[in-house]
Amino acid sequence: MTTSSMTRRVVVTGMGVVSPVGNNIDTFFSSLIEGRSGIKRIEAPFIDQLDVKIAAQAHFKGEDHFTKQELALLDRVSQFAVFAARQASQDAKMDFTKIDLKRASSFIGTGMGGASATEEGYHRLYRENANRLKPFTVLNAMNGAAGSHVAMQYQLLGSNLTYSTACSSSNIAIGEAYRNIKHGYSDVAFAGGSEALLTFGTIKAWEALRTLADEDASDLSRSSKPFSLNRSGLVLGEGSGMLVLEEMDAAIKRGAHIYAEIKGYGTMNDVYHITQPSVDGQSQAMLSALHDANLKPQDIHYINAHGTATKYNDLMETQSIKKVFAEEAYKIPVSSTKSMHGHLMGATGAVESIASILAIHHKKLPPTMHLDQADPECDLDYVPNEAREISNIDHVMCNTFAFGGTGGVLIFGRV
Amino acid sequence: MESTFELIQQSIAKKLEIDITTIKPESTLEELGLDSLDTFDLIFEAEDKLGIKVPNDEVAVKTIQDMVSLLDKLIQEQKK
Repeated sequence: MTTSSMTRRVVVTGMGVVSPVGNNIDTFFSSLIEGRSGIKRIEAPFIDQLDVKIAAQAHFKGEDHFTKQELALLDRVSQFAVFAARQASQDAKMDFTKIDLKRASSFIGTGMGGASATEEGYHRLYRENANRLKPFTVLNAMNGAAGSHVAMQYQLLGSNLTYSTACSSSNIAIGEAYRNIKHGYSDVAFAGGSEALLTFGTIKAWEALRTLADEDASDLSRSSKPFSLNRSGLVLGEGSGMLVLEEMDAAIKRGAHIYAEIKGYGTMNDVYHITQPSVDGQSQAMLSALHDANLKPQDIHYINAHGTATKYNDLMETQSIKKVFAEEAYKIPVSSTKSMHGHLMGATGAVESIASILAIHHKKLPPTMHLDQADPECDLDYVPNEAREISNIDHVMCNTFAFGGTGGVLIFGRV
Repeated sequence: MESTFELIQQSIAKKLEIDITTIKPESTLEELGLDSLDTFDLIFEAEDKLGIKVPNDEVAVKTIQDMVSLLDKLIQEQKK
C-alpha cells in the first residue's frame, strides 16, 4: 500500500510553540494580533561583551518542564522541541497506542543544533584549560538530537530526519514531511523546527556578519522593522514550532480537529550568492509551491513573508512577490511577524507557519509592526502596525529564504 | 573525609532528585533508574572529585558497591 506514486492529502491537527511572544499557540497568536514585541535587552552574563545587546529570547526554564536527569541530555534546543511537541500532541489529541508507530515520523529543522553544549565544550577546553569534556557533550550538541528526543518521546519508529538549511530549515522540514505523508511513506509526522542559538559565540559570529539590527533609539522593542525605510537589520530570536501532520482521511476518521491542509510546497536553491538572494530563486520557490498546490496567484489571500528587515531580503522578496503575482501582488496582504518575534533562524518557518495557519483559523492577519514609513521600493500592502480582520481567507503562503540558498515556501489551505 | 560510598550516594541523589537513604550499597544501578550513560556521567564526576582515571574497560558495574569497590581499588593503585 505504500508506493511513491500514492497521492494523499495532508492536514495539520495539532500545534505547539515556544517563542519570544508566548509558549502556547493562543498566547503566541494573540501577541502577534496585539502587536506585542518579544525583543528585549538580552538577559545573559556576557551582555557587556556584546556590541548588539538585543534579542528575542524565549521565556523558558528547562527545570519547569523536565527532571534534572532528563535535562542532562537535553540542550536548550531539544528542550524547546520536546516541549513544543508535547503541546502539539495534546492539541492533536492523538492516542499513540492506536496508530502504527512504524509509519509515524519526525522531521525537524535546526540551524545550529545544540549551540549551548558546543559552546560550553569549547569554553571548558580553551578558557578553563580543561583536558576533558562532559560525557554528554556530543549527545547534546549533535544537530539531530532535537528530532531524536521528539521521536523517543512518542516512540516514533518511522523516519527521523533533521534538516539544516539555515533560515529555511523548518519550512523544509514541514514540506518534506508533507511529501513523505502525501506519497505514502508515513501516516503521521511531527514536523517543525527548533533553535536556541543565543550563546555568546553565536551572537558574536552574527555581529561580524553586520546583518543585526541597531537598537531603536526610542524603544528597543521596536528594533525589528521589516520593509521600513529605517530598518537596520534582523534581530536574533529563539524558540520552536511543532506541527502534528496526518493523512487527511485518517484524521477525519478519528474525529480530529483539522486546522488546515498543507496544499503545496516549493523549494529551490538560489545559487546567486552565499548571502544575497535573487528574484529568480525566490520567485521560483513561490511558483513551485503554487504549482504543487494547483492554485493560481489570485487564490492566495495572505502571505506571511520571510521579511527579515535586511535590505537584501526585503527588496528581493518584494520584487519576487511582484514577479509571481503580477498585478495581484498589490491586492494581497503581506506581513512579517519577525517584527515581533524576531528571526528564529532554523525555527522561524515553523513558528511563522503556525502564525499563517492561525490566520486562516481566526480570519485575522497579524501585522508588520514598526512600519511607519515603508522603503519606497517596498510598495506592497504590508498590513502595517495593526492586525486586520479578513472575511475571505482560504489559502495562505508562508515564505522562508536562507543564507546558503535554500528557499522553502509552504501553502496552507482551509479545510 | 567522606567515604567513596557517600560521595556516590550524594551524586546519585542529586542527579535523580531522590532521597539519599534509598541509595544502598546493594542497590543496582538499573533499579535506581540509571542507564549506561548515567554511569559514565557518575564516573566522570567521581574521577574529578577523587583525582583518578577509570579505564574504559572497567566501567561496567552492576551495583553501587561494585562502583565503590572499583573506585577504591583505583584510588589505591593510582595514588601509589
